[in-house]
Amino acid sequence: MLTPQTLKKLRRFRAIKRGYYSFLILAGLLVIVTMGELLVSDRALIVSYEGELFFPTYGEFHPGSDFGLDYEYEVNYRDLGRSFKGSDNWLIMPPVPYSPLENHAPSGIFKPAGPSLAEQHYLGTDTTSRDILARLFYGTRIALYFSLAFMVCVYGIGIAIGCAMGYFGGVFDLIFQRLIEIWSNIPFLYMVIIVFSVIPATFSVPVRITILLTVMVLFSWTSMTYYMRTETYKEKTRDYIASARIIGASNTRIILRHILPNVLSTLVTFVPFTIVSAITAITALDFLGFGLPPPTPSLGELLKQGTANLRTAPWIVTSAFGTLVILLTLVTFIGEAVRESFDPKKFTIYR
Amino acid sequence: MHNQVLKFLLLTLWLIGCSESNEQLEETNQDNTSEVNSYYDDNPDFFTFSTKESLPQNLTWQNGMDLPDIGSSLAIKGGTEYSRLADFPRTLRVVGPDSNGSFRPYILDNVSMQLAHRHPDEFVFYPGLADSWAIDRDAKTIYVKLDTNARWSDGAPVTSDDFMFMFFFFQSAYIVAPWYNNWYGTQYTNITKFDDHTFSITVPDAKPDMDSRVLELRPIPQNFFKHLGEDYVERYQWKFQPTTGAYVIRDEDIKKGRSITLTRLENWWAKDKKFWRNRFNPDRIQLNVIRDTPKVFEAFKRGDIDQFSLSLAEYWYDKLPNDDPDVQGGYIHKTTFYNQRPRPTYGLWMNSARPLLDTKDIRIGINHATNWQLVIDNYFRGDYARMRTSSDGYGEFTHPSLSPRTFDIALAEQHFSKAGFNKRAGDGILVNDAGQRLSFTVSTGYESYKDVLTILKEEALKAGLEFRIEVLDSTAGWKKVQEKKHDIHFAAFGVNLEMYPRFWETYHSVNAYDVAFTENGAVNADRRLKTQSNNLESMASLDMDGLIDQYRISESKHQMVDLAHRMTELHHEYASFVPGFVQGFYRLGHWRWVKYPDGFNHKHSGDGQEFHVHWIDMDEKQETLANRKSRVPYPPAINVYDQFAQ
Repeated sequence: MLTPQTLKKLRRFRAIKRGYYSFLILAGLLVIVTMGELLVSDRALIVSYEGELFFPTYGEFHPGSDFGLDYEYEVNYRDLGRSFKGSDNWLIMPPVPYSPLENHAPSGIFKPAGPSLAEQHYLGTDTTSRDILARLFYGTRIALYFSLAFMVCVYGIGIAIGCAMGYFGGVFDLIFQRLIEIWSNIPFLYMVIIVFSVIPATFSVPVRITILLTVMVLFSWTSMTYYMRTETYKEKTRDYIASARIIGASNTRIILRHILPNVLSTLVTFVPFTIVSAITAITALDFLGFGLPPPTPSLGELLKQGTANLRTAPWIVTSAFGTLVILLTLVTFIGEAVRESFDPKKFTIYR
Repeated sequence: MHNQVLKFLLLTLWLIGCSESNEQLEETNQDNTSEVNSYYDDNPDFFTFSTKESLPQNLTWQNGMDLPDIGSSLAIKGGTEYSRLADFPRTLRVVGPDSNGSFRPYILDNVSMQLAHRHPDEFVFYPGLADSWAIDRDAKTIYVKLDTNARWSDGAPVTSDDFMFMFFFFQSAYIVAPWYNNWYGTQYTNITKFDDHTFSITVPDAKPDMDSRVLELRPIPQNFFKHLGEDYVERYQWKFQPTTGAYVIRDEDIKKGRSITLTRLENWWAKDKKFWRNRFNPDRIQLNVIRDTPKVFEAFKRGDIDQFSLSLAEYWYDKLPNDDPDVQGGYIHKTTFYNQRPRPTYGLWMNSARPLLDTKDIRIGINHATNWQLVIDNYFRGDYARMRTSSDGYGEFTHPSLSPRTFDIALAEQHFSKAGFNKRAGDGILVNDAGQRLSFTVSTGYESYKDVLTILKEEALKAGLEFRIEVLDSTAGWKKVQEKKHDIHFAAFGVNLEMYPRFWETYHSVNAYDVAFTENGAVNADRRLKTQSNNLESMASLDMDGLIDQYRISESKHQMVDLAHRMTELHHEYASFVPGFVQGFYRLGHWRWVKYPDGFNHKHSGDGQEFHVHWIDMDEKQETLANRKSRVPYPPAINVYDQFAQ
């Protein structure tokens, strides 16, 4: 894959500073959210209790009785830390010591509270006193993972079918084109809403997310096939394909080794925009209340809360909106840079 | 020649077309008078025609005229009130599909007249359409003399025939309303017409409140429904039915999807009547469709809407706090009014037919694992109170001492452990030996109470119980419980101002299963859940059934009180309901040009507008808006009316 031409494209991508740095930031962000539990969590990183070390971040929960408390449910590490004061025991909390689900109201009343360094609610709390930074963080993680998975699925299906249509042509192409025309006329957002309104809540959150992903992919793969089909048609008639065929290369070999690498550059330019649309779609669905079930943290849900409390709690909408803007801007910058550096007009002799 | 043939053909076609459409017209516009009359003839036991002479002589007629006035004599008529609808009404019909929505109170419940109404302070009846009435308990019959002045809004007099027709209407299958068919078919046994303004209605049981069964009836205008037929639903979809009340809707005031406006009848027949003269004051009530509550609030703050409910803590304390410039400037008044009436039953309804929930220990455990007190204290900011039983607010019929189970992790764990759940999984949820998790779906149709459920979820986790929250839209939520597909559902039954609570609908086994028990009293192994009933807990208990049956036929108030207490205890013991919260008051904000009587409102009022005792002062509106612009303040008004606090 890494032909000299591709390397040249990548070098050019690096030269476009805005897109390149956006890419680095986003990649960094992806790494950070992946190990999010170490940064944002109500579980301590390390607990030293009676000379024994605990690492509660991952794995099973520790009941209060593990640390000499009189209850069987998960220990509250922040309280535990306070009770350790003056003893040999100690613990280290993550920088944001809250889970995205717990209601933590210093004032005793569940209502939005403004950003506070002292309480370590760096972006404030939402309407039921949950930490906004924690919800934003995990909401972003879900949105990013979701859009990446979405992208992979859509491209997988789109490329396979589009390529097959272009390469085999004839009746196969004709039938599939008609099918796609019909399929792509089904309004996607409505379908998601309809399908999601009948899915029972008995499914766990990951299952529901998977179903949402499946439905969205089902109605989104078609657009990819158009580009793939035309590109494959174009490449198929070129001399090098004819030569490969004469030598006796199999269809699989021709498609995978010869056609795909040559059409991929067109596709790559679409990737960032697919991600943008996936993030927007899942945010919109959550905003409308058809996305992830409560209390799953999500950008759309925060945005909705924010717009409902514009006057009294502007920090909710600011953080949700800000995150969304930053995220989408980064991806768009990357997209622009990719498109510019992969622009076929720069490298091809066919004008 | 050809031309003539063509003309002839065209003419024939035209004629055929004409005759066809004429036939159709005749079919649908058929007058149903003969159908109605033959229905009366076919049911002579139900519909009786008698003469004035046969009216019993020894009746004691009463008319409630000694009751105090309603509203304030200071009220002035005129002006336009601006209010809000969450959704455009789907129909102007008051019966049949889609009719039971949030718009109906404006054309039926709060506006149109019954024979008599319960006095909002005294609970006894004052006259509406009736001039006087007499109760014969032995014969289970109520005699009614109609007010001879009573008129429909189209000018026709209200007569006994409209009440006869009311039974035809509600018993007919045309209206597509099975509940009405059942109620009007089983809760009444006879109507006898003595003359145009005198009739009697008989009920099957002489319950303590049998008078309300008859006096709270509303007639149906026979003349308007003379084309009642199979096409009822479509034909009357957007037709405003003549009313006996003060407000009508004119065709030009229906702006589909946007707004709908009520207009006060200048010559309303009851405008000078003792109990009606100080009410229904604005000339027009314009209802604009604004879907989102935050947007409604913004409209209210701009003065586009006159009043706004501040019952939710976030609005009362944060969005319109006492130090808000509009409140401090006295432009917007804030009012808390403590009322007395049966409370909506907000709580968790467990479907005891579901696996695990059929175990009593689990149900008790869930009761102890549900931290309503935290929700009340921290989310509702201590404004609401914990509900004690599912029949609070019925005076002596409410159990005097029973209290709900409190949030207690140890007790919850103890009961869960008795049911076999004594180990915790890696995420802290209890599991039994078979590896089954203690996990239930909590569904609701109330989007606005989503936060309450997330708080309960976090708290239940401490007791090792998992709530999976499912927020549905209101129709889907209700459908789910009506089909009994829920584990645990958060909902409330709206309750009417009634003398005593109902038990049959919610706790009798006939509303839980098709055949709940075999003949010898054992549990029927093949029983099937009954859908479309209000027994959301699928509660089936022979003891309860016995008590309910006694309660239904009991004619002694004393015995009914005793039965109500015993049933409430039984229900508490069964533990399938986690009582939530009750709100002993309502709060609202209103611009200062909206005026209320001295004590603000009446004891049994459910909200500020229910009895239409407020009025709009248009001059003051101009002045207030001008002064607000130039920042000329009035004394602020933040009032608490606790004369009826319990």
